[in-house]
Formats: sequence, C-alpha cells, structure tokens
Amino acid sequence: MVPITYYLLLAAALFCMGMFGVLVRTNALVVFMCVELMLNAANLTFLAFARMHGDGIGHVSAFFVIAVAAAEAAIGLAIVIAVFRSRGTVNVDDIRTMKH
Amino acid sequence: MNVELVLFGAFALLTLLSAGLVILARSPINSAMALVSTFFFLAGIYVLLWAHTVAVVQVLVYAGAIMVLFLFVIMLLNLGESAHRGKPTLSRILGGASAVGLLGVLGITLSRVPAQPANLGPQAQATFGTMASIGQSIFTQWLLPFEAVSLLLLVAMVGAVVVAKSRI
Amino acid sequence: MITPLAPYLPLAVVLLLAGLMAMAIPQLTTRLGPKRPSAIKSSPFEAGSESSGPARQRFAVKFYVVALLFIVFDVEAVFLYPWAVNFQALGWFGYVEMLVFAATLIVGLIYVWKKGALDWES
Repeated sequence: MVPITYYLLLAAALFCMGMFGVLVRTNALVVFMCVELMLNAANLTFLAFARMHGDGIGHVSAFFVIAVAAAEAAIGLAIVIAVFRSRGTVNVDDIRTMKH
Repeated sequence: MNVELVLFGAFALLTLLSAGLVILARSPINSAMALVSTFFFLAGIYVLLWAHTVAVVQVLVYAGAIMVLFLFVIMLLNLGESAHRGKPTLSRILGGASAVGLLGVLGITLSRVPAQPANLGPQAQATFGTMASIGQSIFTQWLLPFEAVSLLLLVAMVGAVVVAKSRI
Repeated sequence: MITPLAPYLPLAVVLLLAGLMAMAIPQLTTRLGPKRPSAIKSSPFEAGSESSGPARQRFAVKFYVVALLFIVFDVEAVFLYPWAVNFQALGWFGYVEMLVFAATLIVGLIYVWKKGALDWES
C-alpha cells in the first residue's frame, strides 16, 4: 500500500512545476501546456482523495475536469492562432497592446 | 519490498522528469512530446490508484486528442526554437520564486497530514473506479454538470471556429 | 495479496516488450546493415528534381477546425461509453439525457457546417 500522502506530494510538485512554467515561459503554447500540467495535478488530487475515502465521486470530477480541459485547449489554441495572425508572434512579452 | 511502492516510485520519477522537460525544453515540439509522455506516466499513476476508467480516458483524450491539437497548432504556426529566452523581469523572477515557495508550503503541509488508502472489501474492490459505477453516478447524481458539459463543448466549438476562421 | 491491479500484468508485459523492440530494432539495423554512403546517395531526394525550400511548411487553418471537431466528438464518445454500459439500468430517462447531450453538440456541428468551416476548397 502506497500512502496517499505520496500521491498528494506528487500532485503538489506537478502543480508547482506547471505554475512555474506559466509564470516564467514566454511562448504562449508552452504556457498552455503548463496549464494542462496544472489541470492534471488537480485530477491526481481528486483521484488520490477518491482512493482515500473509497468513493467514486472524485472519478466523476476527474471526468468533468478532462472535458473542461478539452474545451479550454480548443478555445485557447484558437486564440493563439488569431493572435499569431494579427501580431505574427506567440511570445507573450511582445503582446502588450492592452497594457498601456 | 513492496511492488506497488516500486511502481509508484518509477512512475512518479518519470512523470516529474518529463514535466521538467515540458517547462525547460527550448522547442515547443519537444515540450509537446514531453507532455505526451507525462500524460502516459500519469495514467500509470492513476492505475495504481485503481482509477481504471480515468486512466483510459486520460490516454484517449489527453494523449490522443488534446496533444494532437497542440501539435497541429505548432505545425500550423511553424514555430521553431525560440531565439531568445524571456528577459528576467521582476515579475518573472517573483513568479518563479512564488512557485517554488508554494511547493515548499504545500510539501510541509501535506507531509504532516497522515493519509492512508481506504480498506475496501472485495465487493467494493470489484466496482471501484469501473465504467459502470462512474456512469451510474454521472447519469443520476451529476446530471446537471453532464448537460452543462455539452453546452461547454458547444461554446468551445462555436467560439473556436469564430476566432480561428475570422476571414471566411 | 490479490489486488485489482492483477489484470494489468499482461499489459505491462506487452508495454515492456514493445519498448524493448522499439529500442532494439533501430539499433540492430544501424549496427548490422552495410553503409556505403556517396555524394549522390546522401543528397536530399525530391522525386528526381532539385530540392527547394525547407521541409517544414505552414499548415492551413482548415486542419485546425477538423482537429477541433475531433476533440469535441472524442469527449462525447468518452461520455457515451459509461452511458452505454448503464443503458439497461438507466431506462428511458437516460435515453432522453443522452439525446439532449447529443442534440446540443449537433447544433454546434450544424453551425460549423453552415459557416463553411468544413469546405475544403475555399
């Protein structure tokens, strides 16, 4: 039996790595990939707690998180394409029109 | 030595290694491929948690569909290696430091919480995390979120087409 | 101790064998195959003519729309599976639930179609 604490620690490490990437990387696509990492860390926490309490609600939540991730990827990548078309770059440092 | 613990250690190490590659790789293609392997190793971790269905869905949707979309967009934009790294601005340094700090706080907190897996009887072991038991809860108890997912997908479809194909 | 993980043993064996094969076969072909390179052989080949331009070219956006539809209906299929497993138990109520779900997505498909995003030639 692996203690649930180990799974929670793994999820925390994964979440912080995703957060690090979101805050540090400049390529908008890589930022999106790091958001997916964070969503996966949340999923892992749901499943770890489901195993800890022995009920299936966490699995249902993980299902919905995956559906949300699919919708997020679809719309987010469309925005990246639109930005690339109008600005010619996906570097988040170069996209600063809204920032006065 | 416990087999489950060895498997967990191997999968966890590989997951963290590939996640590190995702955030450190220079070319977005390399990041995407590392992300695919992260998803596969995470599916292995899910199996160790007896989440059989979610492990399959993880490979099917994440590694199968979402990553295809990412690779398509990388090829669509024809992105090579980024010529320059981001300038180490104040917000970037603070952001990285806060991520490391959050890891420290979470690690200290979580390691103090004793958490053991529930002791399931043979009856519960046979149904835990199966397609049938998950479907039973989705289609009775979680009906409204399920229908909301269809609306979410509809919005994603319409929005993505409007945003990406603006010049029709 | 018997756990629910026991059925995964064959899967693990298959994955291990596949990984070993994937590593061994390219190694064997490079080690065992004869290599006699010449200037003509190692030049890039493009159907007889001189090669021109980089191999990486930009894809058209229409591919993105197809990938997008794929992802949406992939998620629908993921929800269809647990529904189909429980079809008998859910009865007519479950049937109507899935009908509403599928109808919502078909509205989106009709929109995308009418908008002309699926026209390949335009």
